[in-house]
Amino acid sequence: MTGKEVFNYIALSIVLLLAQVLICNHIVLFNLAMPIVFIYVIIRLPVNLGMSMLYTVAFTSGVLVDLFSDTMGVNALACTLLGALKRPVLFAYVPRDDKTKTMTPTISQLGLAPYCKYLLTMVTVYCLMVFSIEFFNFADIKDVLLMSAGSSAFSFLILLSIDSLSIPAKKTM
Amino acid sequence: MRNLLNFIIKYGTWFVFTFYVLLSCVLLVSSNAYQQSVYLTSANVVSSSVYGAATNVTGYFDLRSINESLQKRNASLESEVLNLKSQLAQCMVMLDNNSADLRREKRFDFVSASVINNSIRHPRNYLTIDRGRKDGIEPGMGVVDQNGIVGIVNVAGDNTARVISLLNETQHFSVKLKGTLFIGSLAWRGGDPTIAYMEEVPRHAQYHAGDTVVTSGYSTAFPEGMQVGVVLNRVKSTDDNFFILKIRLLSNFKGLSTVRIIKDIYRQEVDSLKTFDNITEK
Repeated sequence: MTGKEVFNYIALSIVLLLAQVLICNHIVLFNLAMPIVFIYVIIRLPVNLGMSMLYTVAFTSGVLVDLFSDTMGVNALACTLLGALKRPVLFAYVPRDDKTKTMTPTISQLGLAPYCKYLLTMVTVYCLMVFSIEFFNFADIKDVLLMSAGSSAFSFLILLSIDSLSIPAKKTM
Repeated sequence: MRNLLNFIIKYGTWFVFTFYVLLSCVLLVSSNAYQQSVYLTSANVVSSSVYGAATNVTGYFDLRSINESLQKRNASLESEVLNLKSQLAQCMVMLDNNSADLRREKRFDFVSASVINNSIRHPRNYLTIDRGRKDGIEPGMGVVDQNGIVGIVNVAGDNTARVISLLNETQHFSVKLKGTLFIGSLAWRGGDPTIAYMEEVPRHAQYHAGDTVVTSGYSTAFPEGMQVGVVLNRVKSTDDNFFILKIRLLSNFKGLSTVRIIKDIYRQEVDSLKTFDNITEK
């Protein structure tokens, strides 16, 4: 990664972190759907980034959100596990070759359908993990599943709309 | 030695992963203890300053100042009403005893505060207020808004404090049906932030839908008679001797802005009596 790319990722992380703690944490649709946007950085980091660095970024993002949300350890653990699942999930939808091993997961590089599958899987897995850790009780399994489904769908739509902002507009004649 | 180094280099990623997972688990488990360090809560300096700045940007300045002054006025009036009530009760007793000493020390005082962070979606919710130890706030003090009780102070920093919300599955409050002696334990069970449950209500208790539920006064956190909610209906209980009432909470937790913290000047005295009980029991 170039210095500019590193700077862009840090800036994106800060913006998404603030958006998460100041806005998204306070939005709960129908008492079950909460948008989770800060994991976008983990999802978008290049595939060839070292795993140790990926774990560090994921853990740090999670701890920062936990610090602001009084959920110490919940997001940190879920983010670290999400970092570990990133490559297996991605390569479940795209072939593992020289080209894909060095790419950044975006709509333009993966194509719309594989990217949507990758994004939806990552978001759903994260929501399931975070709500399971947070409730930590099999008696609440119905709540966990409902909140995971609602939050996954809501977060997926928001992250996809963030992605659409980064797609360059087609040139008109 | 070289083999060890090679092993560490080869499996370094796994070591990093395991380290972060273990660290997360330690944080997760340690955060369940009530007495956390102030630095690991939303009442720490960085979080509270960020939330404070955000509140300043999003708040309507004029409305806030007017609201705060009204809240202060309301707090002083409420404090006066409570103290007058207690003085009246004292007078009645003293008149019966033909005593002339009608003066009684003021017991409860209120401190007004703004909510700078609030959550309602977790199973264990907290809120952060912009008053701390410098304003006399201590852990264990009750927090109310204009409609009813809100929670109990959990951690107090110098300028901010974290409050365990009523919307926290681990926290129970002693309540009773207004105008009766039927005591119960108020608990939130997650989900809807407007609904809580009054548990352990004696089987012979009389109630009607719409009855008001108030604090019992059996703690130093809340004086007796502060509004909590209204009875909706009875729900199934596993214990035949008690039943559970479904309560609609009066406080609007989605729109909390200004709250009041209750100071009980007898708190230390009551707590010291509890300590005395523990010593004698041993």
